[in-house]
Amino acid sequence: MSRTNIIALLIFGAILGYFLSFGPSTTQKFKASVYQMLSPFFTSGSGIKRQITSVRTGLKSLDQLEHENATLQVENRELRATNQGLRDVEHEVNRLRHALNYRERSVFKLIAAEIVARDSSTWWRTVSINRGKRDGIETDMPVVTDIGLVGKTTTVSDGISVVLLISDENCRVAASVEGSREQGIVSGERVTTGLTPLLDLNFLSKQADLKPGQKVYTSGVGGVFPSGLLIGAVKSYRVRELDGQAQLTPTVDLSHLEDVFVVTGRR
Amino acid sequence: MIFFFLLLVLVLVAQVAELFIPSVPWLYDAHVYIVPVIVFYGAMALPFPLMLALALYAGVLLDALTVQVIGGKVEISAGSSILLYGVLAGIMHGLRPLFARGHWEVHCILSGIFTSLIVLAQYLMITFRRGSFVFTREIWWQIAGPGIVAMLMAPILFWLLQWMGRITAYPYGPERRQFE
Repeated sequence: MSRTNIIALLIFGAILGYFLSFGPSTTQKFKASVYQMLSPFFTSGSGIKRQITSVRTGLKSLDQLEHENATLQVENRELRATNQGLRDVEHEVNRLRHALNYRERSVFKLIAAEIVARDSSTWWRTVSINRGKRDGIETDMPVVTDIGLVGKTTTVSDGISVVLLISDENCRVAASVEGSREQGIVSGERVTTGLTPLLDLNFLSKQADLKPGQKVYTSGVGGVFPSGLLIGAVKSYRVRELDGQAQLTPTVDLSHLEDVFVVTGRR
Repeated sequence: MIFFFLLLVLVLVAQVAELFIPSVPWLYDAHVYIVPVIVFYGAMALPFPLMLALALYAGVLLDALTVQVIGGKVEISAGSSILLYGVLAGIMHGLRPLFARGHWEVHCILSGIFTSLIVLAQYLMITFRRGSFVFTREIWWQIAGPGIVAMLMAPILFWLLQWMGRITAYPYGPERRQFE
């Protein structure tokens, strides 16, 4: 091995050792600074993705039109394209109106945020939102929609925050079951496939006997999540050796999230 | 040198692009990883010190985007991706002579295997932290899936990178024997 290679290897080893020596707070700061640096890419990437999705949807409509009526193809294309554009606007207006209503009637202080990126890694379920420290967001703040609980913030940089979704195994939420005195801990599953991830409600009593459809809310224990936020509905219940476990379907469609609210406190 | 900086830019672009590429539903929601393929190409095309620099850069980016600090605890310590990229790119670098002779297929297959090894290593690390060592069929597919996708992407990406190497007058590539 040449001298240059040995020096390069030593430098590599030194930098590697430096990174490996990071504690949790240093790692958090390092992660936040990289997210801050990449935030322009996140925002523009999110915009490009929306445009691509919109174009793809438009093309699908054109295909259908070609089959439906060959003679009115050109005219239909124009009409479809206009409709598509209007539908997008209508969808956005409805979405924002819905969000505004929720924000006004909510008992929490909420900060509206848009999802700009999803986690590309296999083992973590996170999304990035376009709000950060400068908007008053801190670590471990609950994230919700008007329908229910989404997750909590983990890494927060100036303009971007990472939200750990409730479908992640590490996001643990103290929960209570509607119509019973049962309490447990909700967490995601390590591996989920398909569009609808399931949640596990653990540490229930063996006599719980929960019925499908029963709603599960945050109990407020633990300090991160306020009580009364809807998490999901019971899908199935089983008795294990020491406790009972229920599988829940999350109320919020986590795979199609667009807008969320960060809970910064109570009014 | 221009080619090296081009690879750095491509790694950054690919790392950000990965955040917006949806997973493959027919492959147990396997994620698409482009960066490892670029890094492994770089490992073959670049000299040893630059290969290490590329692995370091890609590792730092991957760590920054994947490492999660939850409740004051880090699941996978920062630096683990640097180590993974360093070791795997080092192995790939050792196989340069094969690539120089024009044997792309070995490196395409290895790019897939190594991509899966990165995902497997991450899984082993989080399993060690979280406990309950489980390997279901879904888990195996989520480990193998990204490797299969990377293996399928590798020939196209290698060809593109090879082309970029040519237009930047980078003096290395298959069928060019001067590095053997």
